[in-house]
Amino acid sequence: MPEANVKEKMSGTDVVKRRKGLMVTPDLCIACRGCQTACKQWNKLPGDTTTNSGVYENPPNLTSNLYNQIHFIEKPRDVGIDWLFVRRACMHCGEAGCIDICPAPGALFRTKEGAVVFDKEKCIGCKLCVSACPFDVPRYDENDKISKCTLCADRISNGLTTACSKGCPTGAITFGSRDELISRARKAGFTVYGEKDLEGLGVMFALKADPGAYNLPKPEYKASIALWDSLIRPLSVIGLGAVAAGALLHYLTVGPKDAGPDDASKKGGE
Amino acid sequence: MAKMIQKTTAFERFVHLLMAISGLTLLLTGFGFLYQKELGWLNTIFGGIHLAKEIHNWGGIVFIISLVFSLGTWLPECLKWSAEDSKWLGMLGGYLSRDSEPPPQGKINAGQKLAGLAIFGGGVLLAVSGLIMWLTTPTAGWVLLHTIAFLLYAVLVPLHIYMATAANPGTFRIMTRGDIPLYWAKKKHAKWVREIGAE
Repeated sequence: MPEANVKEKMSGTDVVKRRKGLMVTPDLCIACRGCQTACKQWNKLPGDTTTNSGVYENPPNLTSNLYNQIHFIEKPRDVGIDWLFVRRACMHCGEAGCIDICPAPGALFRTKEGAVVFDKEKCIGCKLCVSACPFDVPRYDENDKISKCTLCADRISNGLTTACSKGCPTGAITFGSRDELISRARKAGFTVYGEKDLEGLGVMFALKADPGAYNLPKPEYKASIALWDSLIRPLSVIGLGAVAAGALLHYLTVGPKDAGPDDASKKGGE
Repeated sequence: MAKMIQKTTAFERFVHLLMAISGLTLLLTGFGFLYQKELGWLNTIFGGIHLAKEIHNWGGIVFIISLVFSLGTWLPECLKWSAEDSKWLGMLGGYLSRDSEPPPQGKINAGQKLAGLAIFGGGVLLAVSGLIMWLTTPTAGWVLLHTIAFLLYAVLVPLHIYMATAANPGTFRIMTRGDIPLYWAKKKHAKWVREIGAE
């Protein structure tokens, strides 16, 4: 069982070679949301009750019952608008802050295919994974357990494709070997978002414009989590050890400050 | 039997015990979460990681209650600072040599005042960030703040325990019984003994 709560390293392991992923091409997306439905069907997730906010985007954000959401962006042009559709879900980072910070053994771990998956029974509901995610992905269900996309780990470990890519009619979401997906997108003239960042994202985007236009953040390991992992965590044990060692040394050299009557009499009595 | 004088009230000892028990529980479970691989057995002592998390959360509430009463009880004394305190601090309380004697101290000495203020400051940070982590969906900054304040406690608490037991024999009784021999009080807190006229 892979262990959380230590800086997980994927490079140099077998996972890198057999890593699977998704290539999302927003320009091919027609916003049918077949992926949202296919995902819900496979993962047996109930629908959320939402309200009409005047746009087609629905539900408006990821929820514990929605692992995969199509985000609608309207960008004004000189004439009309650019209407962009971007898939939001777990990016299955190669360097996953959520795995690193999780204090519960086995609650968040990486599969052989490189997917970042969870075990609800082992989750203690501390929500630290949410704080560590650069993409604001993990959600908590009504039992305070983590809930997010698993890259259909139960399907892909059995040779199937993910439910979302299976349900996509236009090829906007394609599943495959990560390396193949990258070379195919490159050949087609796309820039690949997430190829190298965070040791490579499991879910990449094939873009012809700036990632900012699609509201895609710069994939970065959160600085506070890095500081937490590399400095504060070790310092707490070093500090405790230093005090214990210092106390022992003090006791053996300077010694305790006695204030007994003997002590007083030694000085001639008070 | 030496003449005894009372240094703490029963209420003060109760508040201190409440903070000691809850604080140590939080510190141990905290270490278990932070070093799950190396110190995961700490969580096992508390009945497994799920129960340890509940104990950490509710223990936090007990700690906050003890912190509030502690602030009311000891903060005023911690904020009194005089020339003797500066002198005490200058020679680190005489703890660095066998013979040096610090100047007469009030009810608590300069080191105790600073330790108390650090416990209060760190405790408020731990309480606020802890409640935010428990009751809301926290941002990474709160998690970092909680861990930094934890680091402060991981150093201060063992230091406090050493100073109040092995380093100063007789001190532990202040936490359990509350009374100390007059000669002991005169030696450690001469200014206070004079102030209350117990000579």
